[in-house]
Amino acid sequence: MTLRAGFSGHAGDFAYDVAIEAENELLVLYGHSGAGKTITLRTIAGLARPDAGTIEIGGRMVFDHASGIDEPPQRRRAGYVVQEVALFPHLTVERNVLIGVEDSGDARARWGQLRDALHLDGFDARRPHELSGGQQQRVALARALVRPVEVLLLDEPFSALDDALRADLRAELKRLQRDFGIPIVFVTHDLREAHLLADSVAVMDQGRVMQLGARDEVFQHPTERRVAELTGVRNLFEGHATGGRVIVDGLELALPANGVDGPVDLGIRSERCILRRFDPDDSPPGNCFVGRLVEELAFGNTHTLRFEPDGVGLRVEVEVAARPYEVLGVAGRDRWVIELPPEDLLVMPRK
Amino acid sequence: MPSRNQWWILLPALFGVFFLLPLLGLVWFGLTDGDVASELRSSNTWDALRLSVLTATMTLMLAIVLGTPLAYLLAASEAGWARLTATLLDLPLVLPPVVSGIALLTVFGRRGYLGDPLADAGIGLSFTTAAVVIAQLFVAAPYYVRAAYAGFAAMDPRFEGVAYTLGLSRWRTFRTVTLPLVWPALAGGAVLCWARALGELGATLLFAGSLPGRTQTMPLAILSAFESSAGLAGAVSIAVILVAFALVLMLLLHRATTPSGAYR
Repeated sequence: MTLRAGFSGHAGDFAYDVAIEAENELLVLYGHSGAGKTITLRTIAGLARPDAGTIEIGGRMVFDHASGIDEPPQRRRAGYVVQEVALFPHLTVERNVLIGVEDSGDARARWGQLRDALHLDGFDARRPHELSGGQQQRVALARALVRPVEVLLLDEPFSALDDALRADLRAELKRLQRDFGIPIVFVTHDLREAHLLADSVAVMDQGRVMQLGARDEVFQHPTERRVAELTGVRNLFEGHATGGRVIVDGLELALPANGVDGPVDLGIRSERCILRRFDPDDSPPGNCFVGRLVEELAFGNTHTLRFEPDGVGLRVEVEVAARPYEVLGVAGRDRWVIELPPEDLLVMPRK
Repeated sequence: MPSRNQWWILLPALFGVFFLLPLLGLVWFGLTDGDVASELRSSNTWDALRLSVLTATMTLMLAIVLGTPLAYLLAASEAGWARLTATLLDLPLVLPPVVSGIALLTVFGRRGYLGDPLADAGIGLSFTTAAVVIAQLFVAAPYYVRAAYAGFAAMDPRFEGVAYTLGLSRWRTFRTVTLPLVWPALAGGAVLCWARALGELGATLLFAGSLPGRTQTMPLAILSAFESSAGLAGAVSIAVILVAFALVLMLLLHRATTPSGAYR
């Protein structure tokens, strides 16, 4: 099964232009609220109509502006789960699940399977308000899958649940995805959740998909500054690259071998920076600079340190785990050598 | 005695007494000075009561059939015309019923703008039960539409979206998802509408007249008794019957329209 969608439109003043594609995999639509994630799901489900473009679900064209195809949501074979309106409050679990299907043997058999897979035995006669939040989301998933759907669209389905429950549901979702062999599009604004769930990621901002690709590709090689920002790259500088080197605010660094020349955005994740003790008799090796520790935050097991390189205006944020922090003796010393390994530098040509 | 920080209990108690006293006064007056028993034997009273129930019920039916789709449409639309229409619908709530009656006369009356075409079509509304229903509908239906509109507007429209993706048609979605979710609002509005129609006086008097058996509903019968030789005592006697009847019906209605199992 494949989902292919490329469309543009507007909702009030908000304009969107989206292109995504997913094979049998879990695609995470990641972005801040207002990025256009929900309207993207609603458009695929047939609940919002774009101004142009095409949507193909499981090889069927369900929307094609040019040829006038616009299947109603009832016929798109897209399961759709929204966290806030997961279940119909006035119906029992069983009625909720079976409301859209004829009371056929097939549907009952599928419900039986899903009931086992999602640990929902014995809940048939209960009302939604008698279930926990996690159980409600499980029933909503079962309901979306009890029909033979060809794509599953999930709009922040776990955002109201506590961490332990979310972890369970993520594992179950991954298993369901493998069992059913359909693409799942999962909307979240939680970077950690995107990391944990995604096979592939679409980073969205201001109605646009800025980058779409395999999870590690997107997180390790953002193609533009905004994607790097959104995916949690804390160190971002403007620089100029020539001949495998880049100059950032007077600081010269060696680049990974990718032959970029011209104006670039340079980024490095704070956990990728290496901290060394400063020794006044040694001159720092390549891609290192001496800097002063100007700010320090501790958050749980990690310490976030901010450094100002000598004679340069920029700041670099370095994340150090508690143990190296103690071994190095960060507390009490304020001059350090910070290394930015070339292979961890993100080089994004500036447009 | 309420303790020092519960003195505010006296306010609702006072308010309750304020409502209860006139009703008790009415019943007491009716039972001592009036003649409820003879009114109960009068066919005039029974005709008026039957007409009141009939017209108020027909008004409610029309309000539901015509008003529910309108309220749904208004709640779903964000356009300017929808807000304007919603405001216009509130107008009969603030107009004196007499003004509503005059407004109806200018259009549907024998000398109204539609009087001649209606007469040509063989439809005469003066002194007919239909005119009573029209007057009540104009005055009372906004209570239902308003409540229904609020109910539809308060419902999360995403419930319907999810239902569509589950394969439910629009009509089935409306019946099995939307209606049950807004049911309390619709039922509340229906009770208000019916009650307002039952008590309608001004617009009916002007537009339909007060013809016993045809257009004389209970409020009109009470007014007519008040203006006759029976005077206050006669009016009160009929009023007591209306109060007793309305009380029983409201109790039944409340029981019928309160959802049995509370859900969230």
